[in-house]
Amino acid sequence: MMNKIKFILFISLFILCFQKLTVANNFSSEVDKISKNLRCLICQGQSVYDSQSDFAISMKLLIKNKIENGETEDQIYDYLKKQYGEWIVYDPEFDKKNLILWGFPLILFIFGGLLIYKKVFIN
Amino acid sequence: MISNYIGYYSLLLGFIISASLLFYSIFYLKKNNQKINQNILSLLFLQFFTVAISFISLVYSFIISDFSNETVYNNSHSTKPIFYKITGTWGNHEGSLLLWLLVLTLFIFLFIIFSKKQPVKYRFLSIFFQQIIILGFFLFLLLTSNPFNFLFPIPIEGLGLNPILQDPALAIHPPILYLGYVGSSIIFSASLASLVQNNINKEWAVHIKKWIQTAWFFLTIGILLGSIWAYYELGWGGFWFWDPVENVSLMPWLCLTALFHTVIVLEKRNLLKSWTLILSIATFTFSMIGTFLVRSGILNSVHTFANDPERGVFILIFLFSLIFLAIILFFIYQVEENKIEKNFFLISKETSILINNWFMMYFLSVVLIGTTYPIFLEVITNEKISIGPPFFNKLIIPFLILFLIFMALGPNLKWIKDNYKNIKYSKIILFFFCIFISFYLVQKTSSEILFTSILGGAALYLLFTTIREFLNKKNNSSQTISHFGFSLFVLSILLNSLFSYEFSANMKIGQELVYKKEQIKFLKIKTFDKENYKSVVANFEIKDEKKNITSLYPEIRIYNQPNILTSEADIKTTIFLDKFIVINLIKGEEIFNVRYQTKPFMIWIWISVCLISIGGMLGILKKN
Repeated sequence: MMNKIKFILFISLFILCFQKLTVANNFSSEVDKISKNLRCLICQGQSVYDSQSDFAISMKLLIKNKIENGETEDQIYDYLKKQYGEWIVYDPEFDKKNLILWGFPLILFIFGGLLIYKKVFIN
Repeated sequence: MISNYIGYYSLLLGFIISASLLFYSIFYLKKNNQKINQNILSLLFLQFFTVAISFISLVYSFIISDFSNETVYNNSHSTKPIFYKITGTWGNHEGSLLLWLLVLTLFIFLFIIFSKKQPVKYRFLSIFFQQIIILGFFLFLLLTSNPFNFLFPIPIEGLGLNPILQDPALAIHPPILYLGYVGSSIIFSASLASLVQNNINKEWAVHIKKWIQTAWFFLTIGILLGSIWAYYELGWGGFWFWDPVENVSLMPWLCLTALFHTVIVLEKRNLLKSWTLILSIATFTFSMIGTFLVRSGILNSVHTFANDPERGVFILIFLFSLIFLAIILFFIYQVEENKIEKNFFLISKETSILINNWFMMYFLSVVLIGTTYPIFLEVITNEKISIGPPFFNKLIIPFLILFLIFMALGPNLKWIKDNYKNIKYSKIILFFFCIFISFYLVQKTSSEILFTSILGGAALYLLFTTIREFLNKKNNSSQTISHFGFSLFVLSILLNSLFSYEFSANMKIGQELVYKKEQIKFLKIKTFDKENYKSVVANFEIKDEKKNITSLYPEIRIYNQPNILTSEADIKTTIFLDKFIVINLIKGEEIFNVRYQTKPFMIWIWISVCLISIGGMLGILKKN
């Protein structure tokens, strides 16, 4: 009984802790959000957002203009993919050439599930 | 100059000792000796000793800035602080491999000392397999990456160490990580030895478990240190970018974690023998693949400091020979599984450990394919793709929900067979209650509410379940601490990503901006001359809605050798949130690019990983 009370007390305290959290739209601008998902092509392993190279700066300007012209996020990604190739986006497409990429883990998961099923229910 | 000779010949001597140890162990294996000869022990110590001498000579060359040594010339500079001269020893390819070798030879020596209760033949076999690995590394060092190459004429000044590596966390990150990697080599050798000996059983599980826990502990801490470093040094404010080099350290970790759990089933029920073996082999393979991918320069990553394809080819051949050897042995010496009518019942601890393995292998496959697929695709179709955080998040996070629930339920089940009637209603009520709390927390955010609520709920459920176990005090505390740590880890990351925000703008000195009720004021800059860099320190003042003022001092460093600019973030940490600020120079102008972020619960991410590893540590200390 004592433990139950302690437990409930703990949960209530826990909830109280989070009262202070303020909600935020994570980024100061749409440009930041998009440029985080883009690879800076002339840097080593940096996103456009993180880089201060000329390439990244002009890229951010380009995205800003596109947003002002009313283009959506997806339209901008499509445009950039056409211009620079798929390499520029960090999110690989779901298409034929990436079938193994997306499929392999999922197939392995199903296969693993079957193995466990066999171990537990058959034998 | 002289330390170069000492180092090189000591290494050569070590190589000879290592080769003789290999033959010695074959010789003794044939003779069916009753106990380990004192000579073997002395040789093992001598082997470690020669490598240690060699390593110390290299450290010494770094300390005195002996530029007649090529490695020192390439990676050091006379104006560098003494601390970074020392740590620079393993901040490069040759030195870090020498460190690998040092840890390898230390581990086999310790292993033989601490395995006195094990069968003699098993210990000889472990020496034999470990010596094969050690010899491989000796050859690798001597043939492709000699740390003691001479330079003539002797250069006056060295090229310097990459400034982003001149950092305390990164100074100890490689040695700790290597303890984990190399720890897995002992597990590999010992597993092969016990396969040949046919003694994969409960007793062996008790003995090898300590080594698995040790390797796991160091690997966890090693990854944590790297991630803390990335957080404050690389300046994007994140701690994990799913960068290939981060991924290759995560792969052996996932494998080792699966092994950690499986070996418990072997210990308690004498089951899953081949699977334990496969995981042991896989863990070491992934450690080697990590070394291969990082050192060969195949990867496009922030970490590629030194690379050379020839070295890659050597590691690749070496690695394939080891895997080949393991597979051959695996087929020659069949593992005898325990044949009981029915081994696994649906509701039992062993089945839940199988489920743990199932998810671990899934996560491993995601990381593996995400890291290597771009390489294969480019080789085969000449198409380049990038795989970054979105891919990993999509494939991992949804599965995390189920994983967390199993993690909460599994440890409370009994071995062999439990009854589903033992699952009380209170657990189900608690679960829905957790989802409700989680919904309450995330409802105001812009995320996908339903999904985030369930994920948060599952993490909370694990958190509350583990706390309940603490209160009841009836359970295995090391397991509870680790699982509690993991729930805290998921929760902190979740809350961190939901509630952190960032702001980036170009600012002049004296300028003031308002963002989200916070006032950010750029007060001034000051310049200082330091030992090997010039420092530009800016002063910012952040005023929040309650008029609390925080002063932050981000810095730009201009290193002299090599001539590189780095941005040092300034972070003010409290238990609730981190305020993170970093500045960058904008070419040819008087303005700075300022990036300011508030990141709630950042410190809890580090604390939770510490808790996870403390759980493992307690497991090592616990008596059998």
